[in-house]
Amino acid sequence: MPLTMLNIGETGEIKRIGGNEETRRFLNNLGFVVGAEVVVVSAIGGNVIVNIKDSRVAINEDMAKRIMV
Amino acid sequence: MNIKFALAGNPNCGKTTMFNALTGANQYVGNWPGVTVEKKEGKVKGNKEDNITVVDLPGIYSLSPYTLEEVVSRDFLLNEDPDVIIDLVDATNIERNLYLTTQLIETGVPVVIALNMADLIEKRGLKIDTKRLSMVLGCPIIETSALKGTGLKELIAEAVKVAKQGEHQLPQSIFSEKIEKAIDTVVPALSETITANKKRWYAVKVLENDEKVMNHIVLSSQNKTTIDSLRKELETELDDDMESIITDGRYTYIQKLISTTVEKPKEKLTMSDKIDKIVTNRFLGIPIFLAVMFVVYYISVTTIGTFVTDWTNDVFVVAIQDAVSGFLGSVGASSLLTAVIVDGIIGGVGAVIGFAPQMAILFLFLSILEDCGYMVRIAFVMDRVFRYFGLSGKSFIPLLIGSGCGIPAIMASKTIEQDNDRRLTIMTATFIPCGAKLPVIALLGGVMAGKVAGWKAAGFIAPAMYFVGIAAVLVAAIMLKKTKPFSGKPAPFVMELPEYHIPSAKTVLLHVWERLKGFLIKAGTILVVACIVIWFLSTFGFEGGSFGMVEDTANSLIAAIGDFIAPIFAPLGFGNWQSVASSLTGFSAKEAIVSTMGVLANVAGDPEDAVNVAAGVAKWFPTGMAALSFLIFNLLDSPCLAAISTMASELNDRKWFWFAIVFQNVYAYCISLMVYQIGSLVLYGTFGFWTVVAFIVLAFMLFMLFRPDPYKDQKTYSLRSVEA
Repeated sequence: MPLTMLNIGETGEIKRIGGNEETRRFLNNLGFVVGAEVVVVSAIGGNVIVNIKDSRVAINEDMAKRIMV
Repeated sequence: MNIKFALAGNPNCGKTTMFNALTGANQYVGNWPGVTVEKKEGKVKGNKEDNITVVDLPGIYSLSPYTLEEVVSRDFLLNEDPDVIIDLVDATNIERNLYLTTQLIETGVPVVIALNMADLIEKRGLKIDTKRLSMVLGCPIIETSALKGTGLKELIAEAVKVAKQGEHQLPQSIFSEKIEKAIDTVVPALSETITANKKRWYAVKVLENDEKVMNHIVLSSQNKTTIDSLRKELETELDDDMESIITDGRYTYIQKLISTTVEKPKEKLTMSDKIDKIVTNRFLGIPIFLAVMFVVYYISVTTIGTFVTDWTNDVFVVAIQDAVSGFLGSVGASSLLTAVIVDGIIGGVGAVIGFAPQMAILFLFLSILEDCGYMVRIAFVMDRVFRYFGLSGKSFIPLLIGSGCGIPAIMASKTIEQDNDRRLTIMTATFIPCGAKLPVIALLGGVMAGKVAGWKAAGFIAPAMYFVGIAAVLVAAIMLKKTKPFSGKPAPFVMELPEYHIPSAKTVLLHVWERLKGFLIKAGTILVVACIVIWFLSTFGFEGGSFGMVEDTANSLIAAIGDFIAPIFAPLGFGNWQSVASSLTGFSAKEAIVSTMGVLANVAGDPEDAVNVAAGVAKWFPTGMAALSFLIFNLLDSPCLAAISTMASELNDRKWFWFAIVFQNVYAYCISLMVYQIGSLVLYGTFGFWTVVAFIVLAFMLFMLFRPDPYKDQKTYSLRSVEA
């Protein structure tokens, strides 16, 4: 399911990242790779803040929808 | 010996803090990713033997060619041959930081790792086996804390040693066997002009099919076919594209490496997570932001602000004026000289300097907000609002910086990927009141309060102007986004959020001082010149048929110039030459509006008596609405010359530049017209030709705002360009 479906505080493992190529690469470089664990810290109407590899990353809905966990 | 170090590392890991500590420079640091957009050079202080240059590179997550920062850093590392790369690794986020390290090592330039924020290792309950880490990575690791200044000497000593060694280990293999084999196949195919130490980097990039590298190097067509089929084979086998395979390979390697070298405590919600839960809450996020900014501006111009400013204006400046004129009189200076110094320079510059305490307080608040990490959250919270209007939250960062000064704000728009969104942001960033506009707001706020009997709420004007600025940006954005040149979907918003920290007093005070110093220098240079020019123009003129000093300022040169232009501004409520002249001088620097008003009020006033500038200014505005309209016009029109030239260089296109200038001024004119005419109709019941015009403008704007977006269905992202 897409990352946007996770509730605050829930953990997911990344299965696939789709969407716009450049953003996908940027996410890859930030540590969003298949198998990595993400924790949702905050969510505002689809926009999410997640914890990944010890850092916090804000992702808007557009992109979060395309990260499958 | 001449040695060149490059400081590289992830965004917001402390490179610029380190750079400042090493070189004694005062480069701008902020607690959000992407503060440094361009590289900066400095000399290491306190090292007599060698001549060491340090280059501070923009923060990057990788050496791919997708963002401006990456291209700048990558080109420097590969083409300018630094002797050593000092790789800053944030100890609290080691896994992600080492991802870049693996790429830096590949470039063939010797790497020295500065394990930064080492002071937090113990606090966080982390255990890092630096010896083993250093051995496996094949480069020395020094523990540092750039903020506290520890470990810097050792770092430089180690880096110098490495630079002088000349020889160093070639980058080693880190990927799975299959990929390494592929790399080994590519290496011999590379041209001989690529030195042995750089071969691995180019081989990986060729395998990844990196566009910039492929355009840059020459491969025989036979080799190219071999490599292409090799790539395809791997991609089919591993069911992914080559770049993702390499990325994944690096992270797999790092995970293995840190599992044996780093011990992390059990994860729990950190303080930052808890704060984020509240300030980025879907309902509370925006109200909290509005409240914070309201308090910041309100306090800056009221409580401590006015108390100090009233004192400086009424007591201090007047005392100086009296003392100086007494002194000049006693030494027998001519009355002309006395007038230019007392009325011109002290009257004008003094009017501005009086607001320095308010600016200092505003800068103090803004620095604290920036440094603690709150501001970047706002970009995230506002992304939802901005996206609704067709902009990305990234466009909000320049607006935040713009509350300090418009020039860095315009420069910060560089990080916005899309060309049309970047142009839009450059054009609108200066709508946000910068520090220099604060004196204008405070002075006019006082004037307005004086117009409305019993109204003591002048302090509300400053926060109100801040929100007017943001609203003006949004309104302009909505209108422009519905036109073809600005249409297009905003880029997805992905941004790392820094951890909150208690701002360091040193950083904050340094910020405040740097900004205040800039303001004082301006006051001592541009404003002095502006004041002398204005004093001359307002004292001399044609009276009784001959040129000379005039009795009545209404006959002065500036009055003649102002009167000529004034009719244009009559519909806005300030069609008198004094306000027009002040607005014009505002293009040299926005504070000059206040200094010009100071000069004009002083010259016009009774020479025997000290003058209260605000009282003098109040005479020029018939109503509070007129003062408000004047303030809004000067808030939204083109910024000062320094900012205009920054706009020109960032837009880098004549056509766009002139469009921006025309747009800003026409927009400011329209908004002021509506505010004055409709406001006067409501408050005082005045109705005339211009009221009708104002309603027509309003109708047009509403149409532009609410018409269906003809480009709504455009799914594609708009154009972007990354050039170094």
